[in-house]
Amino acid sequence: MIMSWQMAALLLLGGSTAFLFLGMPVAFSFIAINIIGAFLFLGGEAGLAQIVRNSVVSVMNFSLTPIPLFILMGEVLFHTGIALKVIDGVERLIRRVPGRLAVVAVVAGTVFSAISGSTIATTAMLGSLMLPLMLSRGYHPTMAAGPIMAIGAVDMLIPPSALTVLLGSLSGISISKLLIGGIVPGLMLSVAFVAYIVVRAKLTPSLAPPTPFEQRSRWESWRLFLVYAVPLVGIFAVVVGAMSAGIATPTESAALGAFATIIMAMLYRAMTIEALMKALKGTTVISGMILFIILGATTFSQILSFSGATEGLVSAIIGQGLSTFAVVALMMAILIFLGIFVDQVSMMLITLPVFMPLVQKLGIDPIWFGVLFLICMQLGLLLPPHGLLLMTMRGVAPPEVTMADIFRAVVPYILMSLLLLVLLLLVPSIATWLPSVLG
Amino acid sequence: MARLSRLIGRLLDLMMGLSCLLILAMMLIIVADVGLRNMGGRGLPWSNEISEDILYLVTLLAGPWLLRQSQHIRVDILLRALPPRVAWQLEWVSDLCGLACCLYFVWYGWRVTAASYATGAVSIKTLIMPEWWLLVPLPIAFLVFSIEFVFRMHRLAAAERAPRTEAVSAS
Repeated sequence: MIMSWQMAALLLLGGSTAFLFLGMPVAFSFIAINIIGAFLFLGGEAGLAQIVRNSVVSVMNFSLTPIPLFILMGEVLFHTGIALKVIDGVERLIRRVPGRLAVVAVVAGTVFSAISGSTIATTAMLGSLMLPLMLSRGYHPTMAAGPIMAIGAVDMLIPPSALTVLLGSLSGISISKLLIGGIVPGLMLSVAFVAYIVVRAKLTPSLAPPTPFEQRSRWESWRLFLVYAVPLVGIFAVVVGAMSAGIATPTESAALGAFATIIMAMLYRAMTIEALMKALKGTTVISGMILFIILGATTFSQILSFSGATEGLVSAIIGQGLSTFAVVALMMAILIFLGIFVDQVSMMLITLPVFMPLVQKLGIDPIWFGVLFLICMQLGLLLPPHGLLLMTMRGVAPPEVTMADIFRAVVPYILMSLLLLVLLLLVPSIATWLPSVLG
Repeated sequence: MARLSRLIGRLLDLMMGLSCLLILAMMLIIVADVGLRNMGGRGLPWSNEISEDILYLVTLLAGPWLLRQSQHIRVDILLRALPPRVAWQLEWVSDLCGLACCLYFVWYGWRVTAASYATGAVSIKTLIMPEWWLLVPLPIAFLVFSIEFVFRMHRLAAAERAPRTEAVSAS
């Protein structure tokens, strides 16, 4: 069917957005617009049959296999109770620091990030355990809730991360390099959060009153950390190391990481059949959510391209004569805006068909672009009023913590993430250095 | 209707349980492959292909269960902003569109599968198998999806005149 690219873009991008806002499950929103688009642009009947074939092969994709395996690592950690031991281990070590418990939450969250592929799990875990503790010790709700949400979002940057794998798979950017590229920015944010908490608690001690801690022998202070946290970080090192050294593919690293986590849980005598089944069920739920959207959305970028909308949009943007830097900044602004309304998987599916041709045409470093993309998605988790982790926190926080407290709590961390984004825009090597050294 | 719904619920649980076990199997197969290769053997050459097939089956097996549990991600910002009754009416529109999408996959999935069977098309990767083996799970799974959409609408009819509470992200 002959249609101007503007009309095609409006129909496809506008149509998918309309279906999304109608409240249809994301996967079905894309299926619906794909059926319309395939009929119009992929040759009617033949296009409709093509969607079926595309859907079948969409998830039969080896680059997607790390997704369930990375999620499984985190689920095993949570359902076997090893995560609790890690928090205890960190708590015993961090002693004379202003805002001690908030710092413990950030450090424990960073350790979890190194083994968990799910931001919700990390936030819910820390929120249900650390938040009541901090509130009972007189912490201001903003000081208690903010760090937990913030470090939950950082989980997406630090590998293993299911969404990073998905971004790599959908965009064609090297998954290994993308995973490794998230490490430095993720750690920078963790350090910035700790520094902010310490300075804030030092300046206004009433926000985070000093908390008592048990006096223990040196061995007792270190024991839990050494026994539980260090081996987990060891698994992370092996997973990332094997991947970056080219010894194993991301899938193989993920399978080895998940297997090692299960074996470790067995060695701790923490693994039961029930815990394993719960972990597998949690894994299947999150993986199923993500993979089903891929199955439904798979033909979208193809239709967008066939309709001429991709080429039209890309040429129109390039034709504006904007500098490469301005185009990247514009793409990031669009992502942040989208992050206020839509989930991370939809963000990727809507934008990547247009963004990736731009990245290629303008010669933008894909790793740099990918890490910037990840930071925008991470911001989307925190942005009021609908940021997912704000809702997760609402779900686990005691009633005295109001939604306004949660919004106020997250603001400084959003600003720090935005600062990191700007810094990364100006200094790309923050994202590209580690992948170039290890890759 | 309630009895039938429970019966389908059991089928969905069974499918979900199977997908959990398939993920465990996928992990073990990949680990075995890496292990055997590093011990100097040939490994399991079919492990990549089977892992891909497992991903596909997991997606189809878990999908209908996720629908019953309201775990398919959606954007509910507009539904929350609208008057509850209007949002409830939009839920109907969304469910009807969802059902139409499922029936499309049942019909076209079946046609593509039947055509593949008739021509004797073969999938040749590491493993060689009739292509229709790979195609046929799709219309079957979407038939289950369609049935679940009908139950979903039945539940909506009996529910409070307000939007449902469903998953909004998978990160």
